[in-house]
Amino acid sequence: MTRRAANWSLLLALILAAFYLFPLYWMYVTSLKSNSEIYANPPTFWPLHPDFTIYPDVWIRKSMPVFMKNSLIIASGVTAVTVLLGTGCAYVLARYRSVWIDIGLFFVLMLQVLPASVMITPLFVGFNQIGLLNFPRLAVVLATAAKSMPFFVVLVRATFMSVPRELEESALVDGNSRVGAFFFIVLPLARNGILVCAILTFMQAFGEYIYSKSIIQDPLFQPASVGLSAFLGPNSSDWSSIMAYSAIYVTPILAIFVILQRRIVSGLTSGALK
Amino acid sequence: MKPLSSLRDGIGFDLALVGAALLFLLALAGLPLVYNVLMSFQKVDMFTLNALIRPFAGFQNYIDVYRQPEFWMVARNTLIFVFFSILGQFTIGFALAVFFGQDFPGAKVIRGLFLVSWVMPGLVVGAIWSWILAGDFGVLNSILRGIGLIDAPLFWKSDPSLSIWAVVIANIWLGVAFNMLLLSVGLAAIPRDLYEAAELDGANAWQRFCTITLPMMRSTVGAVLALGMIATLQQFDLFPALTEGGPANSSNVAQYWSWQMSFKLYDFAKGATISVMLFVLVLIASIVYVRSTRHEVRG
Repeated sequence: MTRRAANWSLLLALILAAFYLFPLYWMYVTSLKSNSEIYANPPTFWPLHPDFTIYPDVWIRKSMPVFMKNSLIIASGVTAVTVLLGTGCAYVLARYRSVWIDIGLFFVLMLQVLPASVMITPLFVGFNQIGLLNFPRLAVVLATAAKSMPFFVVLVRATFMSVPRELEESALVDGNSRVGAFFFIVLPLARNGILVCAILTFMQAFGEYIYSKSIIQDPLFQPASVGLSAFLGPNSSDWSSIMAYSAIYVTPILAIFVILQRRIVSGLTSGALK
Repeated sequence: MKPLSSLRDGIGFDLALVGAALLFLLALAGLPLVYNVLMSFQKVDMFTLNALIRPFAGFQNYIDVYRQPEFWMVARNTLIFVFFSILGQFTIGFALAVFFGQDFPGAKVIRGLFLVSWVMPGLVVGAIWSWILAGDFGVLNSILRGIGLIDAPLFWKSDPSLSIWAVVIANIWLGVAFNMLLLSVGLAAIPRDLYEAAELDGANAWQRFCTITLPMMRSTVGAVLALGMIATLQQFDLFPALTEGGPANSSNVAQYWSWQMSFKLYDFAKGATISVMLFVLVLIASIVYVRSTRHEVRG
């Protein structure tokens, strides 16, 4: 590609990205507008009198500290369960080739496709029967971890496949046990890939909605997604608050994503289709 | 001591690692799935909700669901939602993947930025689009009027003939990036010299696309379409954020309907029955998906 063509392509790419990311821009702009400006016709594409006090106001008024704390607890729990159980599973599925491994992998792939809306009714009734609904956040963590683990396993398996087998074998020859070789040779080499997938799992769990909405009744235990849904709906009107709430909610996720963008994309491209 | 040393040094180690995860998944995904099918053949109400053994209902739940006045509307909406979401996500995603497949500085970084739509909480995406699509003060209507496409504002969320399209538009935005990313992987795997040879033979860009890109991408395209269908059938968060399935079920789809049955009307048997029907759809998509990735699964 010539330099001129490359420059034009870059320009076009920037325009496409700006066009695509407009909804995000619109969220931030709307959150800063005054109530009269929000309903201006035609709308202003730049806030005339940006008002940043909406953020602390919404933070307090919509009791966001409680919601955000619960989101953090739930997402951390989901990530912990997923990483602890999923990593070993991905490792074994990456190391061998046999009919049993194929069956295991098929099982994992099939679980990846189950919609949450199919699972929520039996999970709710089942949890109710064994009394797990009395620990609503734990119940949500378990349900969401089961949902996120298959994807995690598929992605981390690709990471393990790129760790050279010879390194592990020579560690075994040197007298390491399997446990030793796994923890001191293989895991450190796959660390970055696992970390990226763990962060992805965290980000997904941070936005989880349907399980929390259905299982957690007490507002004290609800995550930010359920808190947002409380003042959302076909007849919602307090748009600057809704957008400010959304902005506070997603900005941490967006920040993590932008910082780790290259790693996340390469982790996805190496694993997502395999 | 044999089991212990096997656990540390032999097959027991592998079995423990894989077994823990599979047992967890079996308990929290496999069992509920079976339980769901079971429930769809039982009478479940508030009185038998906690009972382990419930009266058998045969196919009564299925007949009841089928007889619901909104059944055909929901079925139609589900098909529209799946078909047009995939159509939009795939064509836009493919076009972007081809464009970003060219080697220009910054291509990879800018392409990566598109993925923010995918990492954002679905409910927030729904909230933002709900505001963009608002009838009176939504920015989309202003833009459409500004460029002269419409005269009067369109009430995307409250007009029964448009409401399903409001969710489709938001879902396309949500899914374009992931489609593009997966298709980019497929594009990158096509050897460059094929294109060079074709160019020497005088094939133009369109011919190169039809004779090289499309055939070489066959398995990727199959996987992406199947994954798109699965993801679209999994999409839930946009519905409560945008239309709540309304007005009058004009934007309701199977996955939201099933949830409404269970958690709004407390009719868990119908909720389970609808989700079994939905699962059959997902199963068809996953067979396509597994078939198109089968050779890769063996790695």
